[in-house]
Amino acid sequence: MSAWLSQPKEILAAVGEQGKFSARILGQVLSLRVLRFLGETLRQAGVLITSSTVVIWGLVFVIGLQCGLEGAYFTRSIGSPAYAGVFAAWCDLRELVPYAFGYMMAAKVGTGIVAELGSMRISDEIDALEVMGFDSVLFLCATRLLASWLVLPFMYVASIGAGFFASYLTVVEQVGDVSSGGYLLIFWMFQNPPDLLYSLIKAMAMATIIVLVGCYYGYNAGGGPVGVGTATAKSMVVNIIMVHVIGMLGTQLFWGANPRAPIGG
Amino acid sequence: MASTITARIFDPAKGALEEVGDMMILTGKTLVSAVRPPYSYGDEFVHQFLFALRLCWFPLLISTVAFGFGAPGLQAANFLVLFGALDRLGGFFVLASIREFAPFVTAIVLAGVAGTAITADLGARKIREELDALQVLGVDPVKSLVVPRFLALMIVTGLFDVYALLFGIFGGIVATLVNGAPLGPFWATFFSNASVTDLWGSFLKCTLFGAIIAVVCCYKGMTAKGGAEGVGRAVNQAVVIAFLGVFAFNYVFTQTLLATNPEMLVIK
Repeated sequence: MSAWLSQPKEILAAVGEQGKFSARILGQVLSLRVLRFLGETLRQAGVLITSSTVVIWGLVFVIGLQCGLEGAYFTRSIGSPAYAGVFAAWCDLRELVPYAFGYMMAAKVGTGIVAELGSMRISDEIDALEVMGFDSVLFLCATRLLASWLVLPFMYVASIGAGFFASYLTVVEQVGDVSSGGYLLIFWMFQNPPDLLYSLIKAMAMATIIVLVGCYYGYNAGGGPVGVGTATAKSMVVNIIMVHVIGMLGTQLFWGANPRAPIGG
Repeated sequence: MASTITARIFDPAKGALEEVGDMMILTGKTLVSAVRPPYSYGDEFVHQFLFALRLCWFPLLISTVAFGFGAPGLQAANFLVLFGALDRLGGFFVLASIREFAPFVTAIVLAGVAGTAITADLGARKIREELDALQVLGVDPVKSLVVPRFLALMIVTGLFDVYALLFGIFGGIVATLVNGAPLGPFWATFFSNASVTDLWGSFLKCTLFGAIIAVVCCYKGMTAKGGAEGVGRAVNQAVVIAFLGVFAFNYVFTQTLLATNPEMLVIK
C-alpha cells in the first residue's frame, strides 16, 4: 500500500521547501534586485521568444480547431448551428486556451528550465557561480521569472488570436453550417474585455507557478545524469496538477458567481 | 547568404521529418517484435504496468475532478441555469467528458508523468551505455525494453480513460450540487444521451494516445546523447512532441468519428 502513496506523500513533503524557494525568488523580483542582471533577463526573454513561441501557438491552434469542431457539431445537434459562436467563444477564451497554454508552458518551458539548471547543478556550475560571489538564485531563477513576465502576456494574447482563428476555420470554412458574419456576430457578443483580462490572469498564474516549479526542481537536482532526468519528470507531475487546480480555481473565482453572458436580466 | 538562409529554414524541417520517420520505423519494429515469439517480455510488462498505475493515479484524480468541475461543469451550468435547464448538464457531459476531455486529460497526465519517467529511465540507460551492453550480450533492446513499455502504456492509458470518465463526471456532479439542483435529472439526461459508440470511440482514442506517447518517449529516451544535459533535453523534447502528436491525432480522430457517425449527434 505504501508504494501507492509514496508519490503523493513526496509531492506534499516538497510543498514547504518549494514555497520557501518560490517566496525567495518572488522577493528578489518584486524588490527589483533582479535588475542588477538586466542583461541576463533580456537574454532569457530572447531565448523564450525564439525557442518556445511557435510551439505554444501551435498547440493552442490545434486546441482551437478542437473547440470549433465540438461547438459546430454540438450546436448542429440542438438545431441552432448559428450559435456555434457561443460554444467557441467560451471554450476558447475561458477554458481551453489557458489550459493549452499551461500544458505547453509546462512541457516546453518548465521542463526546459529543469533540464538546463539541473545540468548546471550536476556539472558544479552553480557552485562556481557562488564561489565567484554571484547570488546564484538571483542570477539563474529570478532573471527567468522576470523574463517570463516580460514576454508571456504578449505571447498569450497572440496565442488567443491563434485559437480564435482556428475555431473560425473549423466552424465557418470546414463544417460550414453558419455564415461568416453570423458566426462572428455571436462570437464577439459572448465575450468582453474583462473576460480577456480574467483569462490572462489565469494563464499568467499558471506560467508563474510553472517557472517557479521548474526553477526549484532544476536548482535542487542531484544524483548525476539520472538525477536530471528524474527531476525533469517530477517537475512535470507537479506542473500538471497545478495547471488543472489553477484552471478550476480561476473559473470558480471569475465566472462561478456570474456567467457574464448577454442573456436575461 | 541565400544558401545559409535556406539551410536555416530547411535543416530543422528536414531533421523533424527524419525524426518522424525514425519513430515510424520504431513503431513497426515494436509491433513486429511484439507478435513474434519468444514472448519474453512478460515480467517487464507487469512491472511497467504497475509502475505507470502507481505514478499516475493521483495526478489524474486531481486533474480530472478539477477539469470536470471547472470547464464543462461550472461554465455549462452557468449557461444552462440562465435558461432554467440545468438538467441538460448530464447530456452535455456525454459530449464534454466522454468524447473530449477524459481522453485528452488522460493523455496529458500519462505523457507528462509516465512518459517523462520512461524517457528519463531509458535516457539514463543510454547515457551509461547499458543499451549497448545489452546489444553486446545479444539481447534486443526493442524486445526487452520498448515492447513491454509500449504495451503497458497503451493498456494503462485505455483503462485510465474509464477512471478519468468516472472522476470527470464526479466533477460534473459537484457542479450540479453547487447549483443546488437534484442529481436525478443529471443522470436521466446523461444516460439517455450516452451511446456505446461514444464510449468505444473514447476508449479506442485513448488507447491510441497511449501508443503515440509510448513510441515518442521510448524513441527520445533511446536516442538521448550528451551526458546529464542530454537526458534532461530528451525528456523536454519527448513531452513537447507527445503533446503535439496527441492533439493533432485527437483532432483527426474526433473529426472522423463525428462525421461518420451522425446518429450519435442526435440529442435525446
